[in-house]
Amino acid sequence: MLKKLRRALKMHRIFIAQDLKKLMEYKLDFLTGALGFIVYQTVNLLFLWIIFSSIPQLEGFSYDEILFIYGFSLIPKAIDHMFFDHLWNIGYWYIAKGEFDKYLTRPLNTYFTVVVEKFQVDAIGELVVGIALMASTVGKVNIHWSGLNVLLFIVAVIAATLIYTGIKTITAAIAFWTKRSGQVIQVFYMMNEFAKYPATIYNNAVKFLITYIIPFAFTAFYPASYFLRGDNPLFNIGGPVLAAAVLMTAGLLLWNKGVKAYESAGS
Amino acid sequence: MRRFLRIYLPFCKMGVQQMLAYRFNFIFFLVGEMLSSVVMYFVWLAVFNSSEGETFMGFSMTDMTVYLFVSFAVGYLTYSEGSYAVAEEIRDGSIAMRMIKPVRFDLPFLFQEIGSRSVTALIVIVPICTLVEVYRFAVTGAVVFNIVNFLLFLLSLVIAYLLSFYINVCYGFMAFFLKNLWGANVLKDAIISFLSGSKIPIAFMPAALQTVLNFLPFSSLSYTPVMIYMGMYDLVTIVQKLTLQLFWLAAFWGLSKLIWLQATKRLCVQGG
Repeated sequence: MLKKLRRALKMHRIFIAQDLKKLMEYKLDFLTGALGFIVYQTVNLLFLWIIFSSIPQLEGFSYDEILFIYGFSLIPKAIDHMFFDHLWNIGYWYIAKGEFDKYLTRPLNTYFTVVVEKFQVDAIGELVVGIALMASTVGKVNIHWSGLNVLLFIVAVIAATLIYTGIKTITAAIAFWTKRSGQVIQVFYMMNEFAKYPATIYNNAVKFLITYIIPFAFTAFYPASYFLRGDNPLFNIGGPVLAAAVLMTAGLLLWNKGVKAYESAGS
Repeated sequence: MRRFLRIYLPFCKMGVQQMLAYRFNFIFFLVGEMLSSVVMYFVWLAVFNSSEGETFMGFSMTDMTVYLFVSFAVGYLTYSEGSYAVAEEIRDGSIAMRMIKPVRFDLPFLFQEIGSRSVTALIVIVPICTLVEVYRFAVTGAVVFNIVNFLLFLLSLVIAYLLSFYINVCYGFMAFFLKNLWGANVLKDAIISFLSGSKIPIAFMPAALQTVLNFLPFSSLSYTPVMIYMGMYDLVTIVQKLTLQLFWLAAFWGLSKLIWLQATKRLCVQGG
């Protein structure tokens, strides 16, 4: 088991090295991509800044607390974007065009081979903005970074990342039956827009949806509110872990079933 | 003119057929895109709940809702894929094939997109405008809909689309320098979403910035048609704004021709 894991990690490193070589080839493309994400987030921040220039608090959250939640939401999104970006291609065209065949000929787990094929460096833009935002609120929000909290933070970020990945895996795997599911991934993925703001601003139907059905609220607001307010760690940190476990398990089961149902393209 | 239509109308028809063939994809895509407007709606609701007065910088919650959804529809309809289309052809060399055919370089793209956009327009404008008007009626108890404003809105929308197309064509020529335009498009869309006022109404910005943004071509892409729809402008202002839109359309049309002339002189197709 350990040997297998070590081999997988080694393979992953080799794939990442390949992608970094590609990156050096197209430096300008990378810079514009990363800059694009930074500008996009800056526009959103300007929006928040304009709003808070005329109101002191949004539903009980201060400007810095909102920035903390917003920054938090970008980190798992960026990590998922960086390591699991290839799932989009599976849903959009790999299965429809029969290109998925190549993964079946390889001596590794198909899911693993698909995921390591692309290391999306553009995501660094989001990651940098997310970390910078959280860092900018240090001293302005009431968080005590004890050893335990740092550990819980890491757990929460990993779990939140896997919520993104799980949702993408499930929706991408649908393509094994329907040939294309890119648009389905898109619709579910776009729901992450709801994660950037406190879940308390939404009405009950939306709140229920993003907590229990497509649990994006666990990728930012709930864990962030534990760090900000210190309340209800079981729900706020345990929730993301449970949601991630359920979604990833369902995703991988569906994927494995899908690979068996896969029947390649006509040509 | 007859000859012109005989050449280019088939492209238009192709666009319509393409759109109808992929209608389910399109509807899914639309729902996904609309989610961010729904999020913004709730954010604004919270803002209005947290602020003292009934209005926020001159906008009531009703105005804001109308703004959000109409500006979504306008942004969606004026979105042009001209930059991808041009860039893709430059990259794979098929632009060479285009140059030996007796058609102009921009019009086939344009007519194909007009075809697909007119289908989109029917699917998007009718339901969104109906919902917006029903909502306005339910909240204010008065019919605000005005046919003259609506027709002027449609006119402004068409100019906005054409302007968007030519801005995108100019931008697509960047493919001469970049290999992968995806990142560059993220950058462009982010900048335009700010400068065009589709993210934050230009009226909320500092006065000096407003003057600049109102003059720049980007406000013609989204802000002008939306403001006309909302009835924020009087007739004189509308005429001024439409003139400005036409001015920028002419400018970018000219620029795209100029770049094309220069580019064809030094085009070097890779392994074409």
